[in-house]
Amino acid sequence: MSSASLNPSTRPEAIDALVSGVDRYNPQNISVLEDYLYHQIRHREYDAFANLAVLKLYQFNPELYNPDVVLNILLKALCAAPLPDFNLCVALISDRPVSTDEDTEDHVPTLLPELQRLSSLLHRCRFPAFWSAYNSDALALLRDNYTVEFAGFEDAVREVALRAVRATFKRITTDRLSSYLNLQGEALDAYIAKLGWAQENGVVSIPANPDNQIQASVVRENIQFNQLQKLITHAYNA
Amino acid sequence: MSRVQLWAADQEDEDLADVDLGLAIGSYGQHELQPRFDEAAFVALQHQMQQQAAFAQIPDVVKRFLVSFHRAVRENNVAEISAAYEGGWNKLTEKYYAKTEWPDPDVVAPLVNDDPLFLILYRELYYRHVYSRLTPDVDDRFHSYENSCELFNFLLNSDGPVPLELPDQWLWDIIDEFIYQFQSFCLWRQKSKSKEPELEEDPALAQTWSTYSVLNVLYSFVQKSRINEYLDAVREGKSAEEIADIVGEYGSKPLYRMLGYFSLIGLLRVHVLLGDYTLAMKVVEHVELGQKAMLTRVTACHVATYYYVGFCYFVLRRYADATRTFASVLNFIGRMRQYHTRSYQYDQINKTADRMYALFALCTALSPSRLDDNVLSGAKERFNDQTARMARGDQSAYEELYSYACPKFISPDGGVGMWGLPLARWILTGADSPHPLLQALFREELKGQKGAGTLRGFLKMYKTVDVRKMAAFLEGEFKGADEVVMEMMVLKQASRSISHMPGESAGSLLDGQSVSTSDLDFVIDENIVHVAESTIGRRYAGWFIRNAEGAERAYDGLRNAALPKNLKELQQAAAAAAAAAGQPQQEKKAVSFAKVGA
Repeated sequence: MSSASLNPSTRPEAIDALVSGVDRYNPQNISVLEDYLYHQIRHREYDAFANLAVLKLYQFNPELYNPDVVLNILLKALCAAPLPDFNLCVALISDRPVSTDEDTEDHVPTLLPELQRLSSLLHRCRFPAFWSAYNSDALALLRDNYTVEFAGFEDAVREVALRAVRATFKRITTDRLSSYLNLQGEALDAYIAKLGWAQENGVVSIPANPDNQIQASVVRENIQFNQLQKLITHAYNA
Repeated sequence: MSRVQLWAADQEDEDLADVDLGLAIGSYGQHELQPRFDEAAFVALQHQMQQQAAFAQIPDVVKRFLVSFHRAVRENNVAEISAAYEGGWNKLTEKYYAKTEWPDPDVVAPLVNDDPLFLILYRELYYRHVYSRLTPDVDDRFHSYENSCELFNFLLNSDGPVPLELPDQWLWDIIDEFIYQFQSFCLWRQKSKSKEPELEEDPALAQTWSTYSVLNVLYSFVQKSRINEYLDAVREGKSAEEIADIVGEYGSKPLYRMLGYFSLIGLLRVHVLLGDYTLAMKVVEHVELGQKAMLTRVTACHVATYYYVGFCYFVLRRYADATRTFASVLNFIGRMRQYHTRSYQYDQINKTADRMYALFALCTALSPSRLDDNVLSGAKERFNDQTARMARGDQSAYEELYSYACPKFISPDGGVGMWGLPLARWILTGADSPHPLLQALFREELKGQKGAGTLRGFLKMYKTVDVRKMAAFLEGEFKGADEVVMEMMVLKQASRSISHMPGESAGSLLDGQSVSTSDLDFVIDENIVHVAESTIGRRYAGWFIRNAEGAERAYDGLRNAALPKNLKELQQAAAAAAAAAGQPQQEKKAVSFAKVGA
């Protein structure tokens, strides 16, 4: 996990004090943290550490459990790939309460395996398969109830794909990029333009970055002075 | 009066002279004088007699030991407490209590003037012995919890700091054992709930060993001792007076400071057991790892800390950090082995070390990188079969090592399972492993790594290669060039990891920057893969230095050896001896002389 999502600059001070101290165990703070999650969703921010604190409170106080919040946290974590955030979240919902409230339907049991599969596809960079799974009928529930209100979910997934592309490619065919981003025609052109990447004859050039510049090197051994201490002492005394 | 005879017999022991016999006998004698005979008194009397009988059974040497142990604790004589704690206790355990409990604390009470503090400490040892050597029953688990609470209450809620001093090792063991018993309780409840459902309804059990109460104790010590502030102040190089000001009256006492410090490590462990790895690492962000750190004072603490920190790195996919963490402590254990072969914790340390070798083997399989040869050969020695199978891409080998090496996870409601189906069942088949969910998550991790080994091997042979050509070669494994390209992205991302930069010790354990962990790097230009390999030049220096030092030693040895006084005399003597022995040996002699001359 990167230190950025553990300590994002966007985190308000009040939240920081809350999650860094013992107060994170206080069940009364759950609404503050839940509100903060929805704030993250609206403003396209991400604070993994605060979201884990929510799951922790559910872990200890099953009566607080709110399935919608859990699913939104999982969706947020999904978009952090290839960081392991999704698995870290799932590890905290090991034993899950059966919702006692009949009115609110608990979608976690149905959707969790699906999300797990989506996470695995992203982790394995199977982006076209991700999009077709995501847009399948089986996941209409997820799209209609959750991601529809999740600002920029699809863009966040595209960002996952772009991270992989940036690191791996110098140039990539537009078709390939299109299948990774699930964008075609003008929408794709606009997206590429927004990234500031050059497009020519169906090939997109990716600006140089530390990961797509490769260099062969020979690591030479480095002798420290203290390794020679004994030898030199001996020579001096001899 | 058998009782008096017993004491009379004991009085022959000079070492026991310290015991306040009058007091002990006095308290025993009281019931004799009761004029009325009623039921309660009779029961009490019976109880008393049983205790006397039990008391009579205690070997004299144990009695003497307890008396001097008590005196050492009362006088805060840390050296003597250490000797009794690490030496006497274990020796007597081997001799008298290898298979039974130590004497009941109530029976021991008169020996130590009913000193409540010493009895709490005694019970701490008593139950620890039950847990480690025997099988604790429900009552033991219950009472050991009560006793721990009593001890912590006494330390945390007295008026002002308690003037008690205990050796670091014992303080570590107190915290360590507290968590161990908590963990053991959770696992036991998980197991026994299926057999005895009525256990669940016992309200007393629901309170006992609750996760909240355990966390509460640990956090209380951390706060009371202001250990985080202390560690920061030390790092900033503040003076002793300034530090004393910062940490307050509790934190300046070694007992509280060390308990606070060990509680941080305890929290690290509890959070890992609960599956919260980020929080675990966050808790110890003020703790410095390293050879000179505070945690090296107690070897068991040193080893445990590295194990849990390394495991967190492993789960966070920071394999480079995990590898470095394990290598550092495994090398340390290797060096220590020469000195510590008979320490009573040695077994435990060795077990943890073996699990770290397994995790090390996993890390190197998942993220091949420049390695510590010593540790690598240690890992291969222990897990040769699995290492070979992992190299062939056999998933079950990974899982074997993982389930062997991971901690025994617990669930926060103590595994009572009030909440219906565990999530794990939805995700995975084969729910029979001890911690199915986290095992399943690890399996998910592995899926991402499947094709990486094959691709790596393939890429090593090329400088440039077309992905379509690769697809043709690897037809069995991947479906078409598109899939090869996607797998290449996986490989690329797997070769990048966030890592602590070498030499950058400051900052939290979770800090770090993205680095390349692989010696093989590549980039794709449309459909052409360009490969660059970093090679490590052969290492000569170590070899030369070692041999040069060897030569010097030989040279010194030769120079210091006494030369024969007269070479000629020696030769004549040798010739005479050879002549006496006959012709055939003449030749041999010449050869051996030639050697000496050379």
